[in-house]
Amino acid sequence: MNARCRIGLRVLACAFGGLAPFAGHAQPSRADWKGLWIGEGLTAQISGFPGPGANYKLLGQDAPWSAEGRARVEATSARQADSKANGWGFPLMMNSAAPMQFLIAPDETLIINIYRDVRHVYTDGRAHPAEEDRWPTTWGDSVGRWEGDTLVIDTVSVRNPNRYFFSSPPLSEQAHYVERLRMTSKDRIESVMTIEDPVTLTAPWVVNLVYVRATGLDRMIHDDYDNDRSEVEDGLFTILPAEE
Amino acid sequence: MIASRFRLVLAASCMAAPLAVHAHHSPAMFDGTKQLTLTGTVRKFQWTNPHSYIQLVVKAENGTEQEWSLEMGANVYLYNLGWRPSTVKAGDTLTATVVPLRSGKPGGLLVEAKTADGKTLGGAPP
Repeated sequence: MNARCRIGLRVLACAFGGLAPFAGHAQPSRADWKGLWIGEGLTAQISGFPGPGANYKLLGQDAPWSAEGRARVEATSARQADSKANGWGFPLMMNSAAPMQFLIAPDETLIINIYRDVRHVYTDGRAHPAEEDRWPTTWGDSVGRWEGDTLVIDTVSVRNPNRYFFSSPPLSEQAHYVERLRMTSKDRIESVMTIEDPVTLTAPWVVNLVYVRATGLDRMIHDDYDNDRSEVEDGLFTILPAEE
Repeated sequence: MIASRFRLVLAASCMAAPLAVHAHHSPAMFDGTKQLTLTGTVRKFQWTNPHSYIQLVVKAENGTEQEWSLEMGANVYLYNLGWRPSTVKAGDTLTATVVPLRSGKPGGLLVEAKTADGKTLGGAPP
């Protein structure tokens, strides 16, 4: 098929809506990012866990670990049974059961989830702070830019994620994260996250993520841990008795 | 005997998946190879974070009672599924499907709750 034919077909498809990328709908805009989103297939059931088939791609089972990375994975796996987390942290908050919100302003995009994990993504053209002005944190330092309808986020200075959440990949503080997020329909955002880490990975680790709308939530709701009844007993958690 | 009041069902469970995680504690405390079906009366429903709980009093045939602590997801997760703080009330009769604690203590992870007339509580997941 020559180029003229392809253009002709695309014009026809747009005219009749049959083959257009967003058939029957207007092209999504940044305004369509509003609302609450959740990792595809990760909606928590009443148990708090997602249903069968949930795929937490950022846990690291497919990562190209180096010898150091594998050693870290084995060490962290051994101590999961009696570990607790206060939230998801980065990067796992981007592949979690926790609904999140993208708040897009001209100079900044905020990414917030129900666990109060917060990322400030500055899109005003700035670079990362100089090394002497930053230090590793749970959510890292993020700057971003819009390439058309794609939000590109560059994140550095992330503390070993496994220190915050026992299931997170034990990446080093030298890890560099690049995300490319694009709304592919009004109810779907697709992201490609590429992680490079000279300490724990032998090659870039590329993870494809999808976010869909958290249809049961009408608003963002935050709460603290007001009723933590989990306590370690003989190496495993147990449920403490309820207060009268 | 308490065991006579519920069926012990050996079943594959979602909890058996090694990569099941949530942002509070490890699931290793629950025995993912088992599911119990408990019928009892609700003493308390805790609509809380990081977990909600149903305190279910199960009566044995000999008349003795045992209170089970049934752990659920965070209240916001339940809200997303259609549950509300008033979905369960003290005095309600419930039939609960539970993945029990490995320790054998009367507690576990609630995976399904039905009312006395067999209706699954809280609506369907989105």
